[in-house]
Amino acid sequence: MPDSVQPTPAEQADDSNDLSVNRRTLLASASTLAMAGGLVAGYGTFFAFAGEFLYPEPDPGAWYFVARTADLEAGGSLPFESPQGVMVVIKRDATALGADSGAEHFQALSSVCPHLGCRVHWEPHNNRFFCPCHNGEFDAEGRPTGGPPKAANQHLARYPLKVEEGMLFLRLPTQTVSTPIAQKATDLSAQTSTERGEDVA
Amino acid sequence: MSVVGRWIHERAPLSGDQLREFTNEPVPYHMKRWWFALGGTPAYLFVVQIVTGILLAVYFQPSSSTAYESVRHITDDVSYGWYFRGLHKWGATLMVAAVILHQMRVYFTGAYRRPREINWMIGMCLLLCTLGLGFTGYSLVFEQLSYWGATVSGNILDNVPVLGGVMKRLLLAGDQYNDQTLPRFFILHAAILPATLALLVFVHIVFIRLHGVTELRFPDEPADAPRHFNFFPDHMATELVMGLVLMIILSVLATVFPVVMGPPADPLTTPEVIKPEWFFYATFRWLKLFGPTFAVLSMGFIVGAMFVWPWIDAALRKLTGREEISVYVGIVASLLLIGLTTWEALVAH
Repeated sequence: MPDSVQPTPAEQADDSNDLSVNRRTLLASASTLAMAGGLVAGYGTFFAFAGEFLYPEPDPGAWYFVARTADLEAGGSLPFESPQGVMVVIKRDATALGADSGAEHFQALSSVCPHLGCRVHWEPHNNRFFCPCHNGEFDAEGRPTGGPPKAANQHLARYPLKVEEGMLFLRLPTQTVSTPIAQKATDLSAQTSTERGEDVA
Repeated sequence: MSVVGRWIHERAPLSGDQLREFTNEPVPYHMKRWWFALGGTPAYLFVVQIVTGILLAVYFQPSSSTAYESVRHITDDVSYGWYFRGLHKWGATLMVAAVILHQMRVYFTGAYRRPREINWMIGMCLLLCTLGLGFTGYSLVFEQLSYWGATVSGNILDNVPVLGGVMKRLLLAGDQYNDQTLPRFFILHAAILPATLALLVFVHIVFIRLHGVTELRFPDEPADAPRHFNFFPDHMATELVMGLVLMIILSVLATVFPVVMGPPADPLTTPEVIKPEWFFYATFRWLKLFGPTFAVLSMGFIVGAMFVWPWIDAALRKLTGREEISVYVGIVASLLLIGLTTWEALVAH
């Protein structure tokens, strides 16, 4: 076995310097990492909060009472206007009888075009729903018959319906523009003022 | 140096030589032609938009229940409201036209080629920002076009794969247009997009200064014509004249063709005939011709190809050995754009 070589005092000092440099490098790296981590975590949290702040809550919609199922005869239809002013025609299957019919025997066709969201119009002379935005066409059952919706096989959507204790409910979105209601309120207020004015006169 | 001069120089230590160097970018001789001064036109119009936009924002109320009435108030009641709204509306129209014309000039003269590819991409961002400002601008009036344009745009985003749904919800603040939507359009129109545009214009100009303007020579130029002339005061004077002419054109347009109010937004009825602003006619027709997914993806592809066109062009030139290949592609694309726009303009549906 060869004798182990003892380091000279100068070499010992060098080692100590190396250790000191390594320790310093390690501390510098760790603090840089901690600083970078802190920045990422800090700004990341900020942007995550900002994203959540900007991202809207999902619209749960609201259930609206439409009619008692017994009051809607088989094959019949009923117009319904939501508080937002949305007109929906609810149809009952011709085969469905009695008050115990389930929601599957009713349908409420949406007038929102599944292509890009415009409102379709019913054209009685053409027996079709027509979307003026991009020329989409649908038959009376909401099946696509022309335009981009036919190319993509997009049907008119149906609003969700449910029957509880013989009562028919319809679910409609609630996140809408309040203008129609505001407009109605304004009209009503103007009308009331005019009437009051006439009374005074 | 006077006492005042010394006082100013101490606080803003700039010499006359430095200022001259800063402003006196040598401008190539071909830019004495008016057609080649189109780059400054959208910049000037952008300033007009900022000034008139700030004035309009004093009276505009960005909510769905008040926006329409406040725009009507600006147009009909406020002193010179019709004039400033007219300047803003026509300024937007001319700005879009000027950006498109400037881009066409850059394209057909091959000024986007190496080493100016990045500036072409910045220019593309400027085009998209300008179109975004146009779209969000007419969305703020809250007339029928505003409401249905926003609804259609939200649903176009919805057709983008993977992120489409999130983008739509972020833009509309929900699954459909609601009371929270219009303030978002206002923030986009009055803060985010103009700030982005201003920053991009700055970077665009920095790149122009770094590379210099592409130099072109024309056969009808005199043989002893100097290669360059000074930006200040020669080119500056050209821009000032263009600015003055633009203000006259804008004022005439705002007076002779005043901006009117369309029917107010009705979320329950899409009008029988509805069209966006003219600069989206081609897109609108494209959406009528194809199913939504194909239409949206193909539009995305076209915009993507435009972004990286300098490299596609280089590859095509290498492949075909023809320097003018981009001119043929440009002519076909321009004819397609003009054809779709004219088609949409001429028919009701």
